[in-house]
Amino acid sequence: MSAARPAAGRLLSGACLAVRPKAAAATATAATTLPTGATTSPHAAVASACYSPSSSSPCLGRVLARPFHSSPHLSARRRPRFANVRASDMGLMDDKQIDDFTKDKFPKYTPEELAHLRTLYSPEQMAALEAGEAAINPRDLTVQGRLRTDPYRMPYIDDFAETQPVIDKRARNKAPPDPHARFMDLDQFARDLIDWADKLPKGEVTGNLKRLQDFVPEAYRARPETQWPAEVRDEARAKFQRYMEGEVAKQQKALNAKGSDALSDLGGGPTDADILQYILERSVMTDANRQTDSSMAPALPNKVPGVAGLYKTVIDPEDQGKDDLGIYQDVKRRTGMTVREILNLRDKQLLVRFVSNQTRLGKVRSCSVIHIVGNGDGWLGYGEAKGTETQLAFRKARINALLNLRPIRRYENRTIYGSITSKISATIVKMEARPPGFGLRVPYRIFEMCRAAGIHDLSASMPRARNPMNSIKAAYWALCNQPDPEEIAMARGKKLVDARKVYYGGAVY
Amino acid sequence: MGIHSVTNAAIHLQNAARARLGLTSIPNTKYNLRLALAMHRAGLLASVTRGGPRPPPPEAVLSGDDGEEVTSANVATRRIWVGLKYWNNEPVIKNVKPISKPSRLVTASLGDLQKVTRGFKSGMVQGLTLGESLFVSTDRGVLEAREAVEKKVGGLVLCRVS
Repeated sequence: MSAARPAAGRLLSGACLAVRPKAAAATATAATTLPTGATTSPHAAVASACYSPSSSSPCLGRVLARPFHSSPHLSARRRPRFANVRASDMGLMDDKQIDDFTKDKFPKYTPEELAHLRTLYSPEQMAALEAGEAAINPRDLTVQGRLRTDPYRMPYIDDFAETQPVIDKRARNKAPPDPHARFMDLDQFARDLIDWADKLPKGEVTGNLKRLQDFVPEAYRARPETQWPAEVRDEARAKFQRYMEGEVAKQQKALNAKGSDALSDLGGGPTDADILQYILERSVMTDANRQTDSSMAPALPNKVPGVAGLYKTVIDPEDQGKDDLGIYQDVKRRTGMTVREILNLRDKQLLVRFVSNQTRLGKVRSCSVIHIVGNGDGWLGYGEAKGTETQLAFRKARINALLNLRPIRRYENRTIYGSITSKISATIVKMEARPPGFGLRVPYRIFEMCRAAGIHDLSASMPRARNPMNSIKAAYWALCNQPDPEEIAMARGKKLVDARKVYYGGAVY
Repeated sequence: MGIHSVTNAAIHLQNAARARLGLTSIPNTKYNLRLALAMHRAGLLASVTRGGPRPPPPEAVLSGDDGEEVTSANVATRRIWVGLKYWNNEPVIKNVKPISKPSRLVTASLGDLQKVTRGFKSGMVQGLTLGESLFVSTDRGVLEAREAVEKKVGGLVLCRVS
């Protein structure tokens, strides 16, 4: 009963008898403006018209639960304090009473009500409504109508006359949006504005009214109000007050006589309410201000430069279905690699840290990731990203690494040139070139970087701090900033020759 | 012969290069001159000119001779003006590390220098890596380590430049 609606209140007061939707419809027609909450969807109306009592036997009030003891149930032993009085004994069951009640509570639709319903429903819906009305004898409702008390009753009492936002779906009576509507251009907008203004009242009401000066003798009219004598001023004000009251009453009378549409005949420009309505409710599309139920904004036109193609993921057949989500489309465009190449790169997540930003609202945790990508043949990319979503941070870091791919100079495609030392904060990374077959005798994060870059012989050491983040950064810097023998030779004006190549007759790579 | 002057000169060259100077001067000693000429041979310096207390004019820098005789009257005011080299916005002399110092002289035999020039450590001297030069004072003059190996001489290790 907690969910009882106003309509249900009427139902209960109507001697536990069902109510047809006529009552709701009648109230709707009586009001000059139809409240949206009272609009009944056709299905609801038909359903409520078909709502008929099924079980004639009143509920005994037994609790349908298995007893855990042999003694009879409390409700079975209940003795009413008074003997039951039959309805017929009270004179409620004679035909006249029943007919009176039926006529009072379940009257037929009046022609006005039917006319109003026709404005709300399509002819098919009206036919269904009338069939539903014809199917049920109002007398049956009076005699047999009961509130359901069975376990399968509705969890709330309703005649479906009103929509209940939590339970009911919103009525969608309006037409769908116009698919051909476009944003108005300047000419269309001007025409629309003129159309709107034409419907407004013409002329200026206040311009026709008398002013305070009209109520003073001729002698004082030219002077400002402050120079009038006190008695003249008071008299003029009293007359002006009476005049204004009379004018207001006159207008009110005219309004009442002509109805709400009469405003336009009275004269006067747009009111604030009109302008607000124009701003808030007037459509900016070429759909003749059509009202719809859809809250979807019209899609951006595809041909606008700068917008075209941005909001559609076009699956490229070249990707062979490897990037249907469009994750690598941007990378593809910026690096010129194919998706297959991107996916074939060696990548490794070198560092995941959970960091938090302490705000006055608490800690905002996020995940900081360092990712490397390499092709195993002299290219290495370093990507760093942070995100509250772990997976998103991983993806961002990987994409950053892809965009950051750089060539790593390699001596004989297997080791670095000379020895490099780099320092980030307290972390120093020292790397030295090593002979073939030496292997990667390096810390494991640098090992992964070397593997991704295609370096096979290297020794590295970190004599001081071994901070993970700084060691990755220092190693990446060192690999990217190796000394270049050609540059050194040019700087010194010398000819540098690789003795190893000379000795082996160039038989090394 | 003390080496404090040549050690100071070497360090001064590093400082001047890091300050991005085009021309700088070191005291006019025979030892400094030999080191400067050795560095010039190695391509680390653009020019070596003996001049007065004022920088020599550009044409003198180019020719390496300012046309003034060194006499006993002006020898005290002579200085060695060296032109520094830069490439790709970086100094050619990035690091200078003196190995011998007045309190500890470090010598290297021919065998040591042979190892060092191949990149291996020998005694006090670390092996040379890519782009490094080692200057050795031998009885054949101040030489780069590879020149010394070529001439089969060892000597006093002055400084390491890279």
